[in-house]
Amino acid sequence: MAVPVNFRNRLAGHRRCVHYRQWAGGGSGTDGPFIMTTPPLRTFRTTPRDRTDAEFPASVLGTAFTAEGFLDTDGDLHIHGRVIGRVCADRLVLGSGGYLEGDVIARDVHIGGRLTGRIFALNVTLESSADVTGRIFHHEVTVEKGARVDARMPWRPPSYFETLVQLPEPRQ
Amino acid sequence: MSMFTRNEKASDTNTDETVRPPRETPAAPPAPAAARPAQPVAQPLSRPSQAPGVSVISKSLKITGQLESTEDIRIDGEVEGDVRGVSVTVGNGAKVKGTVYGNAVELAGTIEGKIEAEKVVLTSTAHMSGDVLHRDIRIESGAFIDGHCRPGYGKSEAKPVYSAPKPVATSMGLAAKPSDAALKT
Repeated sequence: MAVPVNFRNRLAGHRRCVHYRQWAGGGSGTDGPFIMTTPPLRTFRTTPRDRTDAEFPASVLGTAFTAEGFLDTDGDLHIHGRVIGRVCADRLVLGSGGYLEGDVIARDVHIGGRLTGRIFALNVTLESSADVTGRIFHHEVTVEKGARVDARMPWRPPSYFETLVQLPEPRQ
Repeated sequence: MSMFTRNEKASDTNTDETVRPPRETPAAPPAPAAARPAQPVAQPLSRPSQAPGVSVISKSLKITGQLESTEDIRIDGEVEGDVRGVSVTVGNGAKVKGTVYGNAVELAGTIEGKIEAEKVVLTSTAHMSGDVLHRDIRIESGAFIDGHCRPGYGKSEAKPVYSAPKPVATSMGLAAKPSDAALKT
């Protein structure tokens, strides 16, 4: 999987952004005063938990929202904006106007937007507005009519996702 | 009067005529209505009734990296990195390590870093370790603050929320190393 775009200084930010490859690899993104270390991979529960919305309220990233980095949550995550980096969640919903570049680790993944990267999920749903480039590691996958998919879809047993401690190196 | 009323009537009929074409199109709905039950009951998750502009970072979400939004941000979780928004609310129990830029920043949680905002509100549960660069500040009783409060927002090194990245980058991280090297030589 290629990460084609060099998004250095993409944001009107003050600090230089480290290339995603560097984050995904060593996590030695030390640049300037802000030291970013790769947080450990947070694996999800393979069995649906008795979800209480009060305990795990959903996070919503709006259309005007841009984030670069690592997003980790035990609850739901709705992305309608633009995210570059690694996302770990229980359930991820990428809205039809959303853009995500990077790896996704979640139990349920619903893609309605544009994704460049890899998905590691038990259940993957690609909706008709989805545009996916990369790899989809799945146990169950649903692709709606109209989805644009340029991806390999390797099947994995649930145990693969349970024991996912480190992501495999991205291949070209 | 009669002339006026007549005119009104005339205009009424006119509007009726203009309205009529749309009225004909509503005659179509029966067909879509009939088709509706055929659609899947569950609406696609990716298409909410309204695409939200406001972002909510709930308490279970931790973000390591930089956030930016041209609309409001509400943070109840944990953020390690800079936050840029128009109106940024850091809720009770939330934690931000880094600089928070915005037009209006309301803090009820914890910030370790800096606030650069035009309007700053520290509520009674706020815990602020770091400097506050503001133009207008309100601190409620009970707020903790460890740092300087300077009314310098918009002046000197304080940057507006959305500025061209180049001069900012040179002033901060990017060119820091070369300039250091230049100083040493």
